[in-house]
Amino acid sequence: MNLLARFRSWLKWMVTRQRLESEMETEVRFHIESYAADLVRKGLSQEEAMRQARIEFGGIETHKDEVRASVGVRWWGELGSDLRYGVRLLRKNPGFAAVAILTLALGVGANTAIFSIVNSVLLRPLPYRDPDRLVRIFFNEPGLGLRDVTVSKPELDDLTDRAGVFEDVSAIAGGSANLTGVKQPERIEFVLIGFDYFSMLGATPQIGRLYGPQDHVPGFSPNVVISDALWHRDFGADPNVLGRTFRFDGDPATIIGVLPPGFRHPGPTVSGDVQVWSAAGFSADPFPKPIRSNHGLNAGTIGRLKPGLTLDQAQSRLTAMATELRRDFPTDYPQQAQWTIEIQPLQEVLVGKVRPMLIITLGTVILIVLIVSLNIANLLLARASGRQQEMAVRLALGASRGRMIRQMLTESLLLSLIGGLAGIVTAFTTLDFILRFVPASIPRLHEVRIDEAVLAFAVLISLLTGLVFGLVPALHSARVALSSGIREGGRGSGYSSKTECLRDVLIVSELAFAVMLMVGAGLLLRTLRDLLRENPGFNPTQVVAANIWLPVPDNPNEDPYRGIAPKVAFDRELLRRLKTIPGVNLAAITTDLPTTNHSLNDPNGNYALAIEDRPVESSQDLRAERVRISPEYFKLMQAPLVRGRSFSEGDEDGKQPVAIVDETTASKYWPGRDPLGRRVRFGQDPTLPWMTIVGVVKDIKSDGLDVDGVPHIYVPIFQNPWRAQSVVLRTSLPANALESQIRHEVQSIDPGLPVYGVSSMNDVLDASLASRRFSAQLVGGFAGLALLLASIGIYGLLAYMVSQRSREIGLRMALGASRNNVLKLFLQKGVVLAGIGIVAGVVFSASTASLMASLLYGVRPHDPAVFLAVPLLLFVVAVVASYLPARRATKVDPMVALREA
Amino acid sequence: MGKQIDLLQGTLDMLILKAVSLGPLHGYGVLLRIQQISDEQLEIQQGSLYPALYRLEHQGLIASEWGESDNKRKAKFYSLTAAGRRQLHSETEKWNRMALLIASILRTTPEQV
Repeated sequence: MNLLARFRSWLKWMVTRQRLESEMETEVRFHIESYAADLVRKGLSQEEAMRQARIEFGGIETHKDEVRASVGVRWWGELGSDLRYGVRLLRKNPGFAAVAILTLALGVGANTAIFSIVNSVLLRPLPYRDPDRLVRIFFNEPGLGLRDVTVSKPELDDLTDRAGVFEDVSAIAGGSANLTGVKQPERIEFVLIGFDYFSMLGATPQIGRLYGPQDHVPGFSPNVVISDALWHRDFGADPNVLGRTFRFDGDPATIIGVLPPGFRHPGPTVSGDVQVWSAAGFSADPFPKPIRSNHGLNAGTIGRLKPGLTLDQAQSRLTAMATELRRDFPTDYPQQAQWTIEIQPLQEVLVGKVRPMLIITLGTVILIVLIVSLNIANLLLARASGRQQEMAVRLALGASRGRMIRQMLTESLLLSLIGGLAGIVTAFTTLDFILRFVPASIPRLHEVRIDEAVLAFAVLISLLTGLVFGLVPALHSARVALSSGIREGGRGSGYSSKTECLRDVLIVSELAFAVMLMVGAGLLLRTLRDLLRENPGFNPTQVVAANIWLPVPDNPNEDPYRGIAPKVAFDRELLRRLKTIPGVNLAAITTDLPTTNHSLNDPNGNYALAIEDRPVESSQDLRAERVRISPEYFKLMQAPLVRGRSFSEGDEDGKQPVAIVDETTASKYWPGRDPLGRRVRFGQDPTLPWMTIVGVVKDIKSDGLDVDGVPHIYVPIFQNPWRAQSVVLRTSLPANALESQIRHEVQSIDPGLPVYGVSSMNDVLDASLASRRFSAQLVGGFAGLALLLASIGIYGLLAYMVSQRSREIGLRMALGASRNNVLKLFLQKGVVLAGIGIVAGVVFSASTASLMASLLYGVRPHDPAVFLAVPLLLFVVAVVASYLPARRATKVDPMVALREA
Repeated sequence: MGKQIDLLQGTLDMLILKAVSLGPLHGYGVLLRIQQISDEQLEIQQGSLYPALYRLEHQGLIASEWGESDNKRKAKFYSLTAAGRRQLHSETEKWNRMALLIASILRTTPEQV
């Protein structure tokens, strides 16, 4: 009727419960006493009148209870007593409570922690203004099978002026540079951006200003914006840092602003967080001339779509524009390249790669919480069977079934909420620890935290598990037939065939889930093991690596390393000095440290190749990666030369250009023929000299242990010097012992050069597997837990059966059953359940394993070894878990068992 | 005391509303008033009066106030609210229509069918 009035009245009851209860008491007493007084007036004695009045009033407590029900506060009181009863039950069974709460805390905690990562990385929108309008712009040449190719300044201008779909566009080129003019020269990560970058993202500075119209220059701006981290590390968070200058690859840079701590560059980074933002107009030195054919800018471009424009509309407009441009400039866009423009949501580009791994991880922890709740359901069911008598008595005394289901659900929800709370605490305390194992290559990790959405998820997961493990036993116990409950209870058994069947189903599903987790873990671990055993093509033991970079000042005249000679001179001097370090046997230089090379996606590193005597048309798809090395590189790395010779000190500028190919290149471009003596060159410039192939080396895993089949061509660094270099040393000394000496030798040649990333080659290989190791170890750990829980489940089920059926066992033995018969009876039960569960799990895994294909290497999703080993292991564990209680059954003394019955 | 009639299901609320519509009453007074106006022919289980009173108050149909009874004791008096008055009115009408209908049905003779 009047909802407001009802709510007010309910609220009044809830708030002033005590007073209202006592008022109700007064009212009832007034009624009875007034009636009694009337009866006395009619001639009854005081005592008799009171008695009569009480009888006619009826059960006082019953009526009071109806009053409470009529104003809707009774359930509240019942909830209170159910909760008190639940707590009392938990305290009476501390073992059960501990197992349930601990496993729940683990399950919910793992879910909460992993979901907080998934939520921050995959689900939450990017932390910029209107993030759904931010897109990454790709320039592709599908005709050549190329994606994200280099661009020219006029093409960037087309995006802003001609396309009509972008509000802002910014070319972005990531890189690292030498930072000098601070305490110690250091290597920092920077991004080269367009002037509209910050307004496009909606960023605001912490202090100072960001780029504005007054900054627009055709080349590099002399002004830079720095990160909060760099401000703290190198400038002591000095508020007067604005206007301070440092040298940035030799060029002076003036700080105009500091970004807030939470701001991160929305793009893939080379090694860590971006510290310096440097804007440029991309059209004057040192950039390529702003003409269309000059596709020299290696820039990832980001744009903000105009409001109201869908992705599809923008894409079709850009496709149309690309077609127009191809028609207008046929010489700049060769027909066969099919140059075109593609856009994708920025968030998708940033996190798309890590999605499978995170989804698998989340799936794992959800399976775990399922197994946990099945396990608890099983324990509860066992307990419910023990409580059948209690339930039957309560039903007989008039409790409704609904009321009893409510009570049992309250008990399970109480349990799940305690477990959930413990889980949230677990997640809070272990999140930092877990994050330490998460590979740093996952974007947006700094955004990970436990927010309201994560807390809501945790509460939801705990309530759902509470429902899952509470509903089954609750419904079950309320369905118990009155008479049979009391009768069975009277007989002291309470184990019905229905319950047994239900528990069997729970155990079987638990085992099936465990199989799925273990198969997943097996596949991932096998992949990891195979990768660790994978021959990288060299011997990484006792090799230490370090990186250096020869800076590129904007003004070519200020460049001490301009041209070939100064770079070669630097390299020769560096190698001479490094070899004098005590304990260093060999020293070499490479431009691509194995497993760290990312040039697969870098158009500058993945070069078009020309082969002598092959028509140009077919050379369009000839490509190889160029690796520059010093003469002793192969010897130091112990990379076996298959044919021909290694480079020598004499392979220098001015001599005959030479090259060494790896076996992949040899078999790809000269199948069945000898590549020695053949001539190749990079690029299509016909004025470049041909390089003669002088050797063939075994494949080295340059792009990662899990990347095969990429052709590499090695060229002498003395003929093709390069600014980005890694030095490698063969030494028995550890990396940290050498770090300062390497730095000393480098800086005694050029004090402005930082040395960074000093580590052993084994650590470099290890780091390249960080992401795989994380998922394999995580899934493996949880699979172990699942195995443990499943064996506890089987053990618990059989142990309970044995204790419930001890009378039957006694009877069987008294009638002549041997101990072996009894052993077989229970062992058989465990084995049959395990068998069904394992088969179901194998079928499930087989049908879902192909989802994991992208995470595997060298192992097929239906790897027979894993699909044999997992069931076998689980089976053995199940047999042991069944054997222990079965053996206890054989220890039953028939005399004792029968007498107790 | 004549023959007593058991209370029809659901009519207690209506009787309580009617009783307090004649002036504020405490719980025991409501009982006495109903017995009085029904000529002692209705049997009400005394205790069941209270759940009904609290329910009506919860629904906002009657209001309560502590006051002093005839014998100078503290008692809770119930009175009809505006909503209660409307409710009593519509219930009365519904009841009358129903009673007429039932009566006419019961009066039906075989010839009329």
